[in-house]
Amino acid sequence: MSKPVVLDLKDATIRFGGLIAVNKVNFNIHEGDLFGLIGPNGAGKTTCFNLITGVYTPTEGDIFFKGNRINGLAPNKIAARGICRTFQNIRLFGSLSVLENVVVGGFLRHRTGLLSALAYLPPAIHETAALRVQAMELLEVLDLADVADVRSRDLPYGKQRRLEIARAMATGPELLLLDEPAAGMNPNEKEDLAETVRLIRDNFGKTILLIEHDMKFVMNLCEKIVVLDHGEEIAQGPPAEIRNNPKVIEAYLGEAV
Amino acid sequence: MDSGLHLVAGLDWGALPQNLILAIGLGAVYALIALGYTMVYGVLKLINFAHSEVFMLGAYTALFTSYWLGFSPEALQQASRESNWLNLLMMLLASMVFCAVVGVIIEFFAYRPMRDQPRIASLITAIGVSLLIQYGGALVLPVSPPPSINEAVNPYRGSIPVQLIAQNPALAAEAAKAKEAFDVADAAFQEQMKAERSEFDLSPRGLELRTAKQVAERNYRTVRKKAEDSGRELSIPKGQMIMFGTTVMLMAVLTWLVLKTRTGRAMRAASHDFDTASLMGISVNRIVTITFIIGSALAGAGAMMQATFIGTPLTTFYAVSLGVKAFVAAVLGGIGNIPGAVLGGMLMALAETLVVWMGKSEWKDAIAFVILIVVLLFRPGGLLGSAKVEKV
Amino acid sequence: MNWPIRIGSIVLAIVVCFGIQYLATTMLKSDGQRLVALAGLYVTLAVSLNMINGITGQFSIGHAAFYCVGAYIAGFVSLRFFQAQPLQPVLWLVVMMVLGAAAACVAGFVVGLPSLRLRGDYLAIVTLGFGEIIRIVIQNTKELGGAYALDKIPAIREIWLVWLLAIVTIAVSRNLLKTARGLAFLAVREDEVASSAMGVNVTQIKVTAFVLGSAFAGAAGALLAHYETSILPTTFSMDVSFIILTMVVLGGSGSITGSALAAVSLFYLPEYLRSQPPVSGASLAAAVIVIVAVVAVLRRIQHHYHGTVAKKVGLYIGSIVGGVVAKLILGALFGLIPAFAKASYTGDKLRMVIFAGTLIIVMLLRPQGIFAHHEFSWTLIRRLYDKVRGKGAQGAPA
Ligand SMILES: Nc1ncnc2c1ncn2[C@@H]1O[C@H](COP(=O)(O)OP(=O)(O)O)[C@@H](O)[C@H]1O
Ligand SMILES: [Mg+2]
Repeated sequence: MSKPVVLDLKDATIRFGGLIAVNKVNFNIHEGDLFGLIGPNGAGKTTCFNLITGVYTPTEGDIFFKGNRINGLAPNKIAARGICRTFQNIRLFGSLSVLENVVVGGFLRHRTGLLSALAYLPPAIHETAALRVQAMELLEVLDLADVADVRSRDLPYGKQRRLEIARAMATGPELLLLDEPAAGMNPNEKEDLAETVRLIRDNFGKTILLIEHDMKFVMNLCEKIVVLDHGEEIAQGPPAEIRNNPKVIEAYLGEAV
Repeated sequence: MDSGLHLVAGLDWGALPQNLILAIGLGAVYALIALGYTMVYGVLKLINFAHSEVFMLGAYTALFTSYWLGFSPEALQQASRESNWLNLLMMLLASMVFCAVVGVIIEFFAYRPMRDQPRIASLITAIGVSLLIQYGGALVLPVSPPPSINEAVNPYRGSIPVQLIAQNPALAAEAAKAKEAFDVADAAFQEQMKAERSEFDLSPRGLELRTAKQVAERNYRTVRKKAEDSGRELSIPKGQMIMFGTTVMLMAVLTWLVLKTRTGRAMRAASHDFDTASLMGISVNRIVTITFIIGSALAGAGAMMQATFIGTPLTTFYAVSLGVKAFVAAVLGGIGNIPGAVLGGMLMALAETLVVWMGKSEWKDAIAFVILIVVLLFRPGGLLGSAKVEKV
Repeated sequence: MNWPIRIGSIVLAIVVCFGIQYLATTMLKSDGQRLVALAGLYVTLAVSLNMINGITGQFSIGHAAFYCVGAYIAGFVSLRFFQAQPLQPVLWLVVMMVLGAAAACVAGFVVGLPSLRLRGDYLAIVTLGFGEIIRIVIQNTKELGGAYALDKIPAIREIWLVWLLAIVTIAVSRNLLKTARGLAFLAVREDEVASSAMGVNVTQIKVTAFVLGSAFAGAAGALLAHYETSILPTTFSMDVSFIILTMVVLGGSGSITGSALAAVSLFYLPEYLRSQPPVSGASLAAAVIVIVAVVAVLRRIQHHYHGTVAKKVGLYIGSIVGGVVAKLILGALFGLIPAFAKASYTGDKLRMVIFAGTLIIVMLLRPQGIFAHHEFSWTLIRRLYDKVRGKGAQGAPA
């Protein structure tokens, strides 16, 4: 446990009217972790992501990223600090091409001013070219290079999910949040995806927090898991422990474990 | 600060209640138009720019019906006529029916084919339909000189006086006395006048009597004004009452329809979530048609009443600014929200009337938007609407 | 960066502008010249609104307000100070354009602020409201002419400058879209939540779009004021905003080429019709009926016919030809009815009717706009050609 803590949730809570969607959740993620967040439908997993990425502000509790409090910051500020995410209900820039989607992800590393862009001056030109090259490299990693010029709306579902990851990677995050990245994929695609996620962690040195519904997928991939149910954290630990935790089994009862 | 005080001091507070009465009538018209906007928006998420043109056609329908009933300028020149409530009812029904038909036709030909298209495309179609009716209408409808509904068709032209505060009895008595004095002086002068050559060439006695009469008259005027200012009388135009009453009645019917009937329930479902509603076996086309029928018929009612009781010269363009204001009223109340439209319409009329009352009538058209912007900045979903939070 | 090409195209642009000016002044009377200038202004207006509406996706329908602000500020200042200043008229005009643009920028900033809180239709109605408020404020300001015209503005009529502004507006939009920064504007249009999650400062982008778009409209206003020498609050009414919006959508929301071409065509259509000979009621009635029928048929072919592209195009052309024939026959038949034959409508009366009809028809047949999201490029033309020919050559349907 010598690795430093990257993300730290302290009693993170959010209410929507009467509903407590996330209730006093605590967990922390260390650098290089491949961390799973699981729980039945409506448990508050996506809401957790929304809290971390600044879409919502916690009603109580705090969220720290590398020791700094980030709750209350605007989403783009949080992204600039080094947290980026994918969306469960895919939110690509539909009418942009696959490559352009990833270039937008690189916006954070953008240094030239507006005037340079409006006049199409060398700084903007070079920068755009550089971002395109980087984007293309990412597309290679995620096996999307062959569809770089396709409108992202026209991609098949599985590739759209991959593109979400590529786009998030382009922001150069330290912590990558993946919201059900394997949803709607067939077993083969899932296998490939797990491979890619591991690769991203190992070769790119990212810390990864992922939400997944498919227990098998999570258990095989993640090293540590947090389980939410009705907004509350009911268990935490390595997959082997979670698998046999009676509370978790109860929460998932009726669903195929 | 100084100018503020000056402004307040310069206001005619006594005229306020009378202005508020006028606001009610105007508010009823705005509310009726706003309902059409809000209902269509609720179901289709479309700003129906052509709604004001439907309204305009309603006013023309009322005009032609009144001609048909014998209140055309030519007919009235030959013989003056008395009207009755039946005529008004016929005009109202004609406007409502005609507008409903027009609304359904517009929906069928222009909006239905656009339903799966980007919303901005439907919006441009709506603008196109609106321009088409304005300019196309000007080809066939009488526009110059702009006709207007002859007020003879309205049997309820007078107003009902209502005493709000009785006049101070002492002042009233004084006024009565001053009137007597004036009458006496006037009679004496008139008597003398008979003997005189002309009013401008008087004998010394004539001059004296005229001065006396003038003094008495001035005195009487002052005293009478004082007495009047001590009390307050409202005159409620009968037309305004009918407008308000009819609006309330139509609103009650609408509320019943939306809340208590199957169709109403389907309508609410469709406005909540179009796609789910159609999955649940609700015939969306039918609901949209009904929405257009109701919305347009209400506009027809508003148009007939506005043209008859408030009265305006009609051109095919005359409803544009009314329409924009009514739409603003709908947004103000929370678009898609039926009580919101009524509230918005009333507020809009109130604000306008108050601006006019304050002697700033040149700002009348701006106030609607100022209020709108202020309200939306604090309540992005309008007064009664709730801004939808996007689920992520 | 390819400097020779770059400098070449700048020179070419300037040459084209002077060419337009030369042709207009030698071939046209002052009325015609005015139309050429106004068309250029409308190109600027449409392309600049496209920055806000088409590219950034902020639903603004009050663009005439910025045009108005630019025109009034420039007109007012010119009226006061033109005589006493030492600059050449053309230079002065450029200074006034900058001033108009700056003033419109401020207005654009103020109007852009609500876009941070409001979406879609709510934003639309607020931009419309701002436009109306600005107009009414001017109407009530005596120094600006009030409800009457602000007139006697010094006349500085430079058609080349009008078109140069249009070209600059187009170039700037085009440049923006070629850079990574420009993609962020598109991203905001596509999905605000996802954009901000990617680190895009959505607030900044939206306000920038409003400021940028209004600056060009303001500069156009300054040119208008000096061309017309007399401006009225009603010159900038809601209708003008709607017409600019229509140009953007009809051209294809987001497409610069589309906005520019739609601006020119939609501006000239009514002006062209104004001078057309009157048509009889019979002819008009026949045309209306046939157009409704042909549009219905075209839509059916569009949505329900699944043959080759070439056959489809053939069917389109066939139905249009059929429509023309039907119109002639029907027109002749209607001519037998005395009331129809007698009625006659001048082009001036019909022009807005036809304008409105065109909007509806284009939207019904091509809701994504003529150019959709495409830009003019040679590859696009090649692709289109291949599509018609290539599929046509493949022959038999499956
Ligand atoms: N913006 C919101 N307003 C109200 N309720 C919300 C909102 N966002 C999420 N919720 C509720 O919070 C609960 C948790 O949702 P979510 O986090 O999406 O679950 P999941 O674990 O399946 O991702 C659900 O009951 C959902 O309806
Ligand atoms: Mg979820």
